[in-house]
Amino acid sequence: MATILTIFLIVSVATPFLARFLKNHVFTVVALVPAGAFIWTLLQGEQIRTHGEITETIRWVPQLDLALAFRMDTLAWLLALVVTGVGTVVLLYCTQYFTKREPGLGRFAAFLFAFAGTMFGLVTADDILLMFMFWEITSVLSYLLIGHYTGKKESRGAALQALLVTTFGGLVMLIGVIMISVQVGSTSLSAIVAAGVTGPMAVTAILLIIVGAISKSAIVPFHFWLPAAMAAPTPVSAYLHAAAMVKAGIYLIARLAPGYADLPGWKLVLIGLGVWTMLVGAWRSLRQYDLKLVLAYGTVSQLGFLMVIVGFGTPDAALAGAALLLAHAIYKSTLFLVVGIIDHAAGTRDWRQLSGLGRKMPVLAVITALAIASMAGIPPLLGFVAKESIFGAFLQAAEAGDPYGWIALIGTAVGSILTVAYSARFFWGAFATRTAACVSTEWHKPPTAILIGPGVLAVVSVLLGIFSPALNAWLDPYPESFDGHLEGHLALWHGFEPALFISIAILGLGAALFWKKTQVARLQEALPPLVDSSRGYWSVTRAVDKISAKVTIFGQRGGLPQYLATILVVFVLVLGTLAAIGNVWPTTFRLYDYPQQVVIALVMALATLGAAWTRKRMAAVLLVGVTGFGMVALFAFHGAPDLALTQALVETITIVAFVLVLRRLPGNSQKLTKRVHRGRRAVIAIGTGVVMGAIALIALGSRITDPISAQLPEMAYYEGHGKNVVNVALVDIRAWDTMGEISVLVVVATGIASLLFVSGRADKKGRRGLRRPATALGRRSVLSDPDIQPATPGARQSWLVSGGKIASANRSILLEVLVRLMFHPAIVVSIFLLFVGHNSPGGGFAGGLLAGLALVFRYLAGGRYELREAVPIDAGKLLGAGLVLAVGSAIGSLFFGSEILSSAYLSADIPVLGYISIGTTTIFDIGVYLVVVGLVLDILRSLGGEVDRQQDEADIAEESTDEFSPRQQVPNTDLWATQRVPIVPDTPSATDTREDNR
Amino acid sequence: MNALVPLVVTIPLLGAAIALIFGQRPRVQIFVSLISLTLVTAIAAVLLVAVDQTGTVTVNVGGWAPPWGIVLVVDRLSAIMLLVSALMLLGVLIFAIGQGIVDDDNETPVSIFHPAYLVLSAGLFDAFVAGDLFNMYVGFEMLLAASYVLLTLGGTGARIRAGVTYIVISLMSSLLFVGAIALIYGATGTVTIALISERVRELPMGVQAILCAALLLGFAVKAAVFPLSFWLPDSYPTAPAPVTAVFAGLLTKVGVYAIIRTDTVMFVDVPLRIPLMVVAFFTLLVGIMGAVMQADIKRLLSFTLVSHIGYMIFGIAIGGDIALTATIFYVVHHIVVQTTLFLATGLVERVGGSTSISRLGGLLKAAPFVAVLFFLGALNLGGIPPFSGFLGKIGLFQAGVEEGSWLSYVLIAAGAATSLLTLYALARVWNMAFWRSRGEVEGYQSPLLESLAESPEDSGTVATKQTSRLMVGATTGMVGLTLLLTVFAGPIFGYAERAAAQVENVENYISAVFPEGSP
Repeated sequence: MATILTIFLIVSVATPFLARFLKNHVFTVVALVPAGAFIWTLLQGEQIRTHGEITETIRWVPQLDLALAFRMDTLAWLLALVVTGVGTVVLLYCTQYFTKREPGLGRFAAFLFAFAGTMFGLVTADDILLMFMFWEITSVLSYLLIGHYTGKKESRGAALQALLVTTFGGLVMLIGVIMISVQVGSTSLSAIVAAGVTGPMAVTAILLIIVGAISKSAIVPFHFWLPAAMAAPTPVSAYLHAAAMVKAGIYLIARLAPGYADLPGWKLVLIGLGVWTMLVGAWRSLRQYDLKLVLAYGTVSQLGFLMVIVGFGTPDAALAGAALLLAHAIYKSTLFLVVGIIDHAAGTRDWRQLSGLGRKMPVLAVITALAIASMAGIPPLLGFVAKESIFGAFLQAAEAGDPYGWIALIGTAVGSILTVAYSARFFWGAFATRTAACVSTEWHKPPTAILIGPGVLAVVSVLLGIFSPALNAWLDPYPESFDGHLEGHLALWHGFEPALFISIAILGLGAALFWKKTQVARLQEALPPLVDSSRGYWSVTRAVDKISAKVTIFGQRGGLPQYLATILVVFVLVLGTLAAIGNVWPTTFRLYDYPQQVVIALVMALATLGAAWTRKRMAAVLLVGVTGFGMVALFAFHGAPDLALTQALVETITIVAFVLVLRRLPGNSQKLTKRVHRGRRAVIAIGTGVVMGAIALIALGSRITDPISAQLPEMAYYEGHGKNVVNVALVDIRAWDTMGEISVLVVVATGIASLLFVSGRADKKGRRGLRRPATALGRRSVLSDPDIQPATPGARQSWLVSGGKIASANRSILLEVLVRLMFHPAIVVSIFLLFVGHNSPGGGFAGGLLAGLALVFRYLAGGRYELREAVPIDAGKLLGAGLVLAVGSAIGSLFFGSEILSSAYLSADIPVLGYISIGTTTIFDIGVYLVVVGLVLDILRSLGGEVDRQQDEADIAEESTDEFSPRQQVPNTDLWATQRVPIVPDTPSATDTREDNR
Repeated sequence: MNALVPLVVTIPLLGAAIALIFGQRPRVQIFVSLISLTLVTAIAAVLLVAVDQTGTVTVNVGGWAPPWGIVLVVDRLSAIMLLVSALMLLGVLIFAIGQGIVDDDNETPVSIFHPAYLVLSAGLFDAFVAGDLFNMYVGFEMLLAASYVLLTLGGTGARIRAGVTYIVISLMSSLLFVGAIALIYGATGTVTIALISERVRELPMGVQAILCAALLLGFAVKAAVFPLSFWLPDSYPTAPAPVTAVFAGLLTKVGVYAIIRTDTVMFVDVPLRIPLMVVAFFTLLVGIMGAVMQADIKRLLSFTLVSHIGYMIFGIAIGGDIALTATIFYVVHHIVVQTTLFLATGLVERVGGSTSISRLGGLLKAAPFVAVLFFLGALNLGGIPPFSGFLGKIGLFQAGVEEGSWLSYVLIAAGAATSLLTLYALARVWNMAFWRSRGEVEGYQSPLLESLAESPEDSGTVATKQTSRLMVGATTGMVGLTLLLTVFAGPIFGYAERAAAQVENVENYISAVFPEGSP
């Protein structure tokens, strides 16, 4: 069985390619596969009859108890014959049905063929999860096949509807499947049926599985998708929606019935819904003018009928159900194929436009007559045999005192009367001769070969009817798997039994109903439709759409401010609650370590409040800076000069960076539109602060062991060769972290630079043409900016290299002199800091920052020209080199066979600098130094130089044209809806930028 | 073997440095990036096999023993995360190279893309191998800083706006994370994960709960867990296609990975089952509802991303071997599938000139192969059998049923509903963008499109662009990988099972870090 499926898989992948050469004959070729599978299955019949089953198992995912397990018993054998047999016929029929030029032929052939394989897998799978997989694949293939006419809106809609309805059922069923397999402790279908577990969990599981089965088999209330699915090409309807896919639900119920038919709810649901479906389907069928829809509703009706009989749960009913299943598959697919022929020949399926077909196509009429006879239950066809035994089985149960027997008997008998009526109406509609004026004149004679498929099926229907007693021997093992004794058997003639009279009565009443068709039609129009699930489907999807929209818009309405508020509120609520209810407050409580702490904390707190309060951006930045310097003071008082030094340098550089940015923003941030917002935010902010403080108190209060830092100084000295524990930690003990952090610096620096240079071009110049090739980064452009002439030798006469290039209004001689005097000493000191760092305050980070500060002053005094002269190197190269040194020294140690980042040292007394122990850590630290310098340089060039240049250009542009700055056209989306702070600032007026330009 | 572990971080970092130095030579950059990520992929594969056979590998960086120094730990979970991310990064890199070669415009300035991309990779790998909480934070910072750069690549208005949301939220999550580290260090005096695990258990439960919650909040923002998830669809979809693919596939999963470690290693005793289940429920449903109303495919996928994080949280919440096995499998599956689908959407955007289903049409005819790629990815994401998404889902449902509480059943129902709605949203995309013909698009009316919202950053239909073979090839390779996940689901589940068992065994983790007993 696995081999057959593998062949199916391979051939279906190859089909689209085969279709390119073979065109519509591809169907004939691939039909060989299901034909072969049919013959193989047929040959297994004897073994299955004698041994009961053949099995095959391949391991797949043992953790899920999921295996490629196949098992063919009588029921599987019967269904495998149906799906491969009908599949072969339908594929052969397709060769004639489609022309060479049919669009999407390869795709269609592949899907239809794959479907045949999937159905074969579905009915032979023994692992219930595997069965479910095939189950869902059929849904997907059905979606693709129904939507085959992709250009038609209704066919796409019908495909989606079928997919959603069957997948809905499928997912519900999946839960049931998993529940039952967990309860049984096995995923084997045969084991699950044999176990026959009971209890509330089993009942729930089985009911969930039933939901899946009835959605697949188009039982009320899920029946509506099937008529809509008639938008598919007719072969699809014949195969998927008559013989195969819709039978999957029937199959599953038939499969589970031996073990679970007595479970509470089973009969109520299946018989109730089955009878209801049979009546609704047949009633609707009587109303249709489209021959295909007559059949579609007829199929719905017959599926209800099947559901009643296979769900009934007695051996006799099981045998009758198997027979009806076979009969229905054969006659219904025949009829669909007939409709396809009529559709092609006459160009319409509306029987009001058909006339005289019976005379034009006598053979087709005979074939149809045979299939109709089977459907209506006229002897000697298989349909009659099946119906006889069904009524026999119901009667038997009813006589034994089962109320469901009566319900099923009466319900299906009434349904059968309607079936006879619509069957007759179908035949009359298709083949009668009419005199009405609207009859279609279009007529193409179909190829004779197209009649072979339906003809074969019709003949089989007759033969199986006549030789039905022979079927017993093959089918009996299935009913015998039920509890109880099998009494009935399939035969044309049972004698004068009640079932026979019921059959006769049904035929008579059905004929009468057909006779009075005008009155019936009038009655139908008078009665409103009882169930309109299709409308239900649409209202559900619409409701889902609407609710989704509401929920999402609610969640997303506030943009960033709301997202932030949500995070903080969650923080306050969760941690506040935990802190409040945890009973974990520390018992002892130290207010401060030294009184200065209180003062510093107070200042920092006030500065923070001020920063939040003020609307002046510059003031806010400075106030934030105050908190930073508060940290410097705290570090200093704690006896960490190194941290204090670094922090002070960081704060300075930060403020510089802020100032560079702020000169391009409006001086004031805009006011919140609503007072409520301000209040709400204050509450959130204060709450966050309080909660953070509280949990910090709790966490520190519950300290149980000394922190690792207690031992660090000692380790740093003896193993790390350094007295400065901070530096040793940075470049040795936790150098791995430092390496990561400098890469953060690198990437941020380059990121900012790329953003400013690229966006400068994209935003400001827009489509006015890019002046430089796009791949060149701004950094490089600064060096090659055509605006800048090379510094002339004359410029040397000023204090700074670029002195001559700056408008005198912007020059400050005092600053220039200071910078001139201080720059080089600062660089020397920074290098000093770098090398002494291991033992004294300093290190690569602090050193780099100092060098960076020196560059800042150089820029402030001389502008971007000066900066370029000071460091004529691409900042990217500096950053890259720094990172290479740091990472390289890390990897280097690997080559000496030690752990990564292991340090080695070389100690010596060096004049001036004194005793120095140079190790691999020093190389690492140089890397850090370079990265920091590169970072500052990048920031100066982008936030400083490039912004200057853009500003200059904007000024020029403003003077020359009165053009609106494109920046103002950037839409203010709802990201900031409540705050109204423009993300990309409006270009400030020329005056206020020139003021603080330098 | 130990020497290989740090290389997964240092190789991409060195690559980034070299790429930066050769900023003006795209070919060198491409070469360096490809070599770096190929090497890491190979190393990750070797590590995976080695760790699976011989057990957890630890490295004391610089020879400094934990808890003073930094320890790197690679167990089975880390190894599979490493391998899958490396494969994704490599695949997306090839796609990006293909796109860059075709475009050669300023949307992807090559010179910054490669260094940032490699730093992102290094950060990601570092987070997966970190045995030290602070180092994990550093890894997060690396990948976040790089992601800021990648998200704002090109600096268009839309990307800057998305970038602001993303950066501010990410900084907030980092702040929560580093705050939590400070609290944990305050209480336990260490940042070595293995030692935290031991010492935390000596604290009163109330304190444990506070520390755990503080840490989880930071991770939950990153992993986009409800209600901390709304930012994600506002930021991810605006980036260039390959960048979005990497973000979607990998960045949220780092958060999930960290949550797994928090729950199973650091805070073993804290009862997280119910709170995690509740948030998983809302993550699943609220997320997928967002997807249902999107017209824009990239935004739609971002919402499914959020939603499906709920499955993983559900698995973590149940806990135990079966649930963790399924979760690990699901994480692997989801990384691959989300990345692939975003790449496929990138192709769609180029072929169709838009990503809005109200304007796309006729793609099946125009680009049948892209259609196949998208369809396979969509089915897989929707959890349709036989694909890996379905297998992961079965595992989670089985674990839920075995756990058996009513909350579990509610979650299973929510999971099934999410699966259906995912399929609904994606099938609608298929109906509109692939089946519907180009000619129908104008003035098209359908109840299916009534409640759809366009992306706020919608830029209308732009000119279609060529797709290079490299782009299609990379996407095809990734789709092939998703199929392999299905075919070899058995061995992968087997590995996930062993990984889960290892994750569950905390003492094993601790003794791997402290072979001579903890200090």
